[in-house]
Amino acid sequence: MNMHTQPQRTPAETALIDAFGDRLSLLPGDGAVMLKRDDAIEAIKHGLPTRRVESWHYTDLRRLLNVVPDFDPAAMAKTIAPIVEGSTVLPVLNGKSDAKVPGIEGVAVQRLSEKLIDGTIAPGLDPYGSDDAIGALNTAFVADGYFIDIADGTELEKPIELQNLQAGGQTHVRLPVRVGAGAKAVIVERQAGDGAALVSSVSQLVLGEGAEVTWLIVQEQPDTATHLAQFKAHIGKNAKLTLFVMNAGGKLVRQEVMVKTTGEGADFKLRGINLLAGDTHSDVTMVLDHAVPHTTSTEIIRNVVTGKARGVFQGRINVHQYAQKTNAKMACNTLLLSDDGEFSTKPELEIFADDVVCGHGATVTEIDHDHLFYLMARGVDEKNARGLLVKAFVAEVIEELDDETIVEALEARLDEWFATHG
Amino acid sequence: MPAVQDTIDRVRKIDVDQYKYGFQTEIAVDKAPKGLSEDIIRFISAKKDEPSWMLEWRLEAYRRWLTLEEPTWARVNYPKIDFQDIYYYAAPKSTPGPTSLSDVDPEILKVYEKLGIPLKEQEILAGVQKTDASDLEEPSDNVYKSGRVAVDAVFDSVSVVTTFKKELAQAGVIFCSISEAIREHPELVQKYLGSVVPTSDNFYATLNSAVFTDGSFVFVPKGVRCPMELSTYFRMNEKNTGQFERTLIIAEEGAYVSYLEGCTAPQRDENQLHAAVVELVALDDAEIKYSTVQNWYPGDAEGKGGIYNFVTKRGDCRGHRSKISWTQVETGSAITWKYPSCILRGDDSSGEFYSIAVSNGYQQVDSGTKMIHLGKNTSSRIISKGIAAGFSQNTYRGQVSAHRKATNARNFTNCDSLLIGDQCGAHTVPYMEAKNSTAQFEHEATTSKISEDQKFYVMQRGIPEEEAIALIVNGFVKDVIQQLPMEFAVEAQKLIGISLEGSVG
Repeated sequence: MNMHTQPQRTPAETALIDAFGDRLSLLPGDGAVMLKRDDAIEAIKHGLPTRRVESWHYTDLRRLLNVVPDFDPAAMAKTIAPIVEGSTVLPVLNGKSDAKVPGIEGVAVQRLSEKLIDGTIAPGLDPYGSDDAIGALNTAFVADGYFIDIADGTELEKPIELQNLQAGGQTHVRLPVRVGAGAKAVIVERQAGDGAALVSSVSQLVLGEGAEVTWLIVQEQPDTATHLAQFKAHIGKNAKLTLFVMNAGGKLVRQEVMVKTTGEGADFKLRGINLLAGDTHSDVTMVLDHAVPHTTSTEIIRNVVTGKARGVFQGRINVHQYAQKTNAKMACNTLLLSDDGEFSTKPELEIFADDVVCGHGATVTEIDHDHLFYLMARGVDEKNARGLLVKAFVAEVIEELDDETIVEALEARLDEWFATHG
Repeated sequence: MPAVQDTIDRVRKIDVDQYKYGFQTEIAVDKAPKGLSEDIIRFISAKKDEPSWMLEWRLEAYRRWLTLEEPTWARVNYPKIDFQDIYYYAAPKSTPGPTSLSDVDPEILKVYEKLGIPLKEQEILAGVQKTDASDLEEPSDNVYKSGRVAVDAVFDSVSVVTTFKKELAQAGVIFCSISEAIREHPELVQKYLGSVVPTSDNFYATLNSAVFTDGSFVFVPKGVRCPMELSTYFRMNEKNTGQFERTLIIAEEGAYVSYLEGCTAPQRDENQLHAAVVELVALDDAEIKYSTVQNWYPGDAEGKGGIYNFVTKRGDCRGHRSKISWTQVETGSAITWKYPSCILRGDDSSGEFYSIAVSNGYQQVDSGTKMIHLGKNTSSRIISKGIAAGFSQNTYRGQVSAHRKATNARNFTNCDSLLIGDQCGAHTVPYMEAKNSTAQFEHEATTSKISEDQKFYVMQRGIPEEEAIALIVNGFVKDVIQQLPMEFAVEAQKLIGISLEGSVG
């Protein structure tokens, strides 16, 4: 049908297309959903993106994705302790949501499989563009997740922790969350497991007027897993979103962050730390659209690269033509600690409005010798001195978060990473 | 105060679509038939009296070009170019091989006079010392030791004249058109041509390799500091022609040369193609400074016409402690697609890139640089200032990379954009790639409009708005203007004033 000529399919592409054929009868969804799935697999049939696709410039998915595990119906992951004690845990175990979730006042939680079957979720399944391979992959295969609706004015006292856990095979999960006007919530998105799995996960957040949300993504996949994730958000009028991303695992990782300010006075904060070790390839790509006037954003990304790891940060700030008075700042700082590691960054600004203040900064360097000298002169040996400095470099970003319990929880995750990789 | 007055007067006089150099000159022309084929390439090669290896080189590039696709990644939009609808060779009919100014068609000299280019008259006006009697007709009393510029004037497809050749030859410097170099110094050309920008480099560079018609050649031998500034002035005159010039500059061990380049074209409704290749080679301890003031016809206020400027410029710091510095002022062209780059191959070599890109009307600029760190202790510096006004799109696209063995690579990048008006766009697309832990890269970019506070501060002191803006803009680009040789700095400042006219208020 499509005359688009393609080079020969890679084994991974073939495996995905075959898997779709095999799984089709098992995938939930009404007619509208199934049509979206067909469109999505068509996009995959055109080939996975290569480095010639600008948004995948540093992550040649076609080349890097070389193993696609089969679906494993026997695999069953177990829930883990939430990072903040007392959180309401909503687990998705090997791609399946729990039928019995605890009730939270002011929050409606529905299994996503039900929303797929009744088709109400269909309009949100479209990938955002022809280069949205993660969106397409997820739409084709998504079977479950949760749909969460936080009612207007609800102020949650305890965080909600969404656990997407895998024990091998493939899991494709979607987590749409609507936060009503004036509501306040802390949501933790936990991505972990212990198998050589292929995981695709799409989170969609819509913030109503004046809502305030802190969303934490804690990604600690094993170093055999492929983790392809997307976080999409629309920030309404005077709403505030703080997104914290901690990337500390996986073999091939791509975390996309697509955020749009849709109401005046919207504010977005992105804080990210990427801890890269072994031979991981980890890519964080952000596209931020300032679509209306008077919105603000700041993004700070800190990266630590060790071993043979390859790290990528792409961050694009689009300021639309009528988005006057936008104030956007982005910084990406990298400590490259190994001669075998590499880090590539592409901080972009696309600006169509004239009355704006936008800036970005990016640095790549090793540990400052003066700092090292300062510590060593005080009797700290070199290894410890380096450890202290590296930890301080990333902890700085965590400490900026207001909530002390969250800061402590994240620092505990940080300590664990340093204990195993330090 | 006079300087400020001068700015206003100039800005008032010249409208956005009144391109000063838009005149066309009627000159008898020798043209190749329209279109591109192996025959045309043979024709060009024969016209230039080229040796057979050169023809082979061209044909190989042409065959390669046929297999390539036009790149589409740049942030520019234009209708597809019909490469068969272009004249690839146009030369003013003239006596064969003009050796002195008196042999040159007076019509052409008039063109350069109109453009204010120091060929003959300019030299005399500037009170330049006359050393090469055959080059000048009138004697001059004033003797200046400084401020001399040797010029190679390229008109459509051929170099019409090169001044000061004899004096340069005394110093051992070869400065001539590339066609002449191919005939007279084949060993040098064969050794270096295509060694920085290979024939297979990219679509336009490959096209250029196949059909290039002229350009400048500079060779500065070991230990020589070139006694004067060298300069090439490109003029596109004929309708429907493409200009494909090729410049090759070689600085041997310890040599130094400063080279300036300027360009203009007549005002026409059709778009014209300009696809040049510039190659610089710096050996041990050599330094090359390359400055460009690009002022091709930018099209009219509605975005009709103008030059497509698709240029490949690359410098190779081949030797240890060598240095290459690019400075560019980009005000012209409907579309600019240009990334003067440095390959820092030698240990302790350094590269610099200073750029001002001003876009107005419907101009589209996608420009920047590449700094490829390969050697040890290499350093690079990028200062880019983009000013977008009207309906224009101004993009900085740059790459800094440190390879595995490039220990202690250093880079500092600063790109600032200034937006004037709410219909234009400014974009920054930097790529940073570090594969060495001792690399130290810093990048910063800002975009803003002229702040009301700044403007208020200046206006409050009795300076009207347009002047205030001119003052602030000139302050904004000062870092780059300072890098230009004196003669160009003045011209550049004027050009910026002209390009921004009509964008205020």
